[in-house]
Amino acid sequence: APAATPAGPRDPGYTKVFACSACHGRDGASRSDTVPVLAGMPAWYLKKAIEDYAAGRRPAAEMEPYAKMVLGLGVDDVAAYFAARPKAPTPIAPDPAAVERGGTAAQPCVACHGAEGKGDRSKGAPDLTGQPPGYLLNQMLLFKADTRSPGDPALTAQKALLKAIPDPQLADIAAWWASRR
Amino acid sequence: APAVRGDFLPRRGPRVVVVGGGWGGATAAKYVKLGDPGIEVILLEPNRRFVSCPMSNLVLSGVRTLESLTRGYGGLRAHGVRILHREASAIEPDRKRVRVDEGYLEYDRLVVAPGIEFQTEQVEGLAAAGDRVLHAWKAGPQTVALARELQAVRDGGVVVLSIPPPAFRCPPGPYERACQVAWYLKRQKPRAKLIVLDASPNIISKTGLFRAAWRAYPNLEYRPSNRVVRVDPDAREVTTDFGDRLRYDVVNLIPPQRAGTIAVRADLVGADGRWCEVNHVTYESVKHAGIHVVGDSTIGLPVPKSGTMANAMGKICAHQVVRLLAGRPPEPMAPVNVCYSWVNDVEAMAVINAYRIQNGKVVQVEQKLTPGQSAASGRNALAWARSIWDDVLA
Ligand SMILES: Cc1cc2nc3c(=O)[nH]c(=O)nc-3n(C[C@H](O)[C@H](O)[C@H](O)COP(=O)(O)OP(=O)(O)OC[C@H]3O[C@@H](n4cnc5c(N)ncnc54)[C@H](O)[C@@H]3O)c2cc1C
Ligand code: HEC
Ligand code: HEC
Repeated sequence: APAATPAGPRDPGYTKVFACSACHGRDGASRSDTVPVLAGMPAWYLKKAIEDYAAGRRPAAEMEPYAKMVLGLGVDDVAAYFAARPKAPTPIAPDPAAVERGGTAAQPCVACHGAEGKGDRSKGAPDLTGQPPGYLLNQMLLFKADTRSPGDPALTAQKALLKAIPDPQLADIAAWWASRR
Repeated sequence: APAVRGDFLPRRGPRVVVVGGGWGGATAAKYVKLGDPGIEVILLEPNRRFVSCPMSNLVLSGVRTLESLTRGYGGLRAHGVRILHREASAIEPDRKRVRVDEGYLEYDRLVVAPGIEFQTEQVEGLAAAGDRVLHAWKAGPQTVALARELQAVRDGGVVVLSIPPPAFRCPPGPYERACQVAWYLKRQKPRAKLIVLDASPNIISKTGLFRAAWRAYPNLEYRPSNRVVRVDPDAREVTTDFGDRLRYDVVNLIPPQRAGTIAVRADLVGADGRWCEVNHVTYESVKHAGIHVVGDSTIGLPVPKSGTMANAMGKICAHQVVRLLAGRPPEPMAPVNVCYSWVNDVEAMAVINAYRIQNGKVVQVEQKLTPGQSAASGRNALAWARSIWDDVLA
């Protein structure tokens, strides 16, 4: 990862991310339960997410207009800006009992998301650790319902896996990954 | 604090003074400091605490407390912003000074963000009614007072909510308020009724979504094209422009609005005497050089008067002010908007707007609505509030 540099007006992404802090927090360090942390997110994944929102593959009313805007401003500068920020894990501490239950249930995820859950670019799988639990659960439910990237063959295996897991257990898994550092 | 006199804080370097520490002004003050810590930033704001209008309709339904929407200004101080809890009483554009009490402050650039003021003279009897007729359109004591009146209303009573003609602060706000009041009455006073008198011929924001939400509220009666022109708190009666009279047990009269008084006094408003026209790239007043206006006081951009918009304008304006003070040209940047509206205690819906700058003007590129109301949007609304309060103040 690139060395963390202090954010500032000299960064070519500085003004291009002005809009994001209203929901994602200053420099992408989200403190809320349902909006993801962008600080420290690898550029390749952030860029793909923006392209997916803009194309409507990831339906999200909040993100679609802004994703298109980011493509117009220059997604590479935006992605580089967040990638250079120090990762800021969610401050939301899930229920410890849920975390413990989730630890076992989360084992199948490591096949793609890496042994520590920190993501594997070769598999296109992002870092799950330190994201807010509410956000992680929402995304799992969207995969399960096949509304996030519907029909994407690269996600068939993950969706089959998630469909087999009952919702309450998904919440436990979300708690687990949210609690990892 | 004793009254100040003369040049009470002599200038030592480049200085930006900000009038008003609400959504637009507090954001602008912070972002000037982020952009160039070498610029001295002084914020004038009479209130010691910031109270959020967004989410304040939930205080009326008892879902939230006003305390949960109240924050201090410590975060801005940590960025190096100097805060004076005083009111600007006048602006002298030619001398580049802001007057405070008997004294003044010099500035290189001034950001004016005083929000809105009520045109009480537009409704007969309103000025004389004082606190007997509540607006609750600036979150604070009136919000709590209106919540108490709703709690005290008899079952079977009539609550009247009156919506002024545009332009006013937060276009979806009155309809969100109607949802919250109707939700509360439905649960707590099942025989009471809410009558909404709207000066406009139809719901002016998220029309279909509010219509759908109101299906859950048979206790809500919507009367479009009904402008309230008179209020009589002794008779507990409002009169519309058609001469119809309506008795109420509780009234919430949202008055017609204009820019904050300081903007009017400083001759920043246009011929209508209400709102301030600005350059769409720099937010500099078209009437006075060196003075920028952001937030609800502005007019002419195709944008709503919202907290998100005031925050976006504050950031962009701050960036241009920093550039202009450094002798660099402004950099065209478009604002963004999102407005969540709560339809009950857990569900919300949103409108999202994207803009671009075309030939030096802000134009809307896209407007998107959430597919409907949902608890998921409610959670995103909470997330937005949490993040944007920090963006303004932390
Ligand atoms: C019920 C309600 C719900 C709303 N919901 C939402 C929502 O969900 N989302 C959203 O985006 N927006 C919402 N809004 C709109 C939002 O509150 C406003 O658009 C926003 O506050 C505008 O910011 P501003 O900086 O222009 O004004 P304000 O935030 O009102 O700030 C103006 C400040 O200037 C100060 N001031 C005035 N005169 C002087 C002076 N002479 N000297 C010094 N200081 C002065 C005032 O004390 C005040 O603090 C809502 C509004 C209401 C009423
Ligand atoms: C109005 C609120 C809002 C604003 C403003 C906003 N976002 Fe988002 N963002 C969201 C929400 C909500 C989600 C989760 C959406 C979903 O369900 O996929 C999200 C998700 C994302 C994701 C996906 C992250 C992941 O882990 O997959 C990225 C990347 C992102 N936003 C980038 C941005 C950028 C860059 C900006 C500014 C240019 C921005 N957002 C502005 C609300 C917002
Ligand atoms: C077969 C590979 C694979 C497996 C196994 C897998 N995932 Fe994924 N996962 C992916 C890929 C690829 C993506 C990226 C999707 C995209 O690009 O939109 C992803 C994305 C996600 C996201 C979205 C993260 C974000 O920031 O938006 C979540 C949440 C997630 N996975 C959870 C899980 C969980 C929980 C498990 C185990 C129970 C799991 N995944 C197992 C491949 C996998």
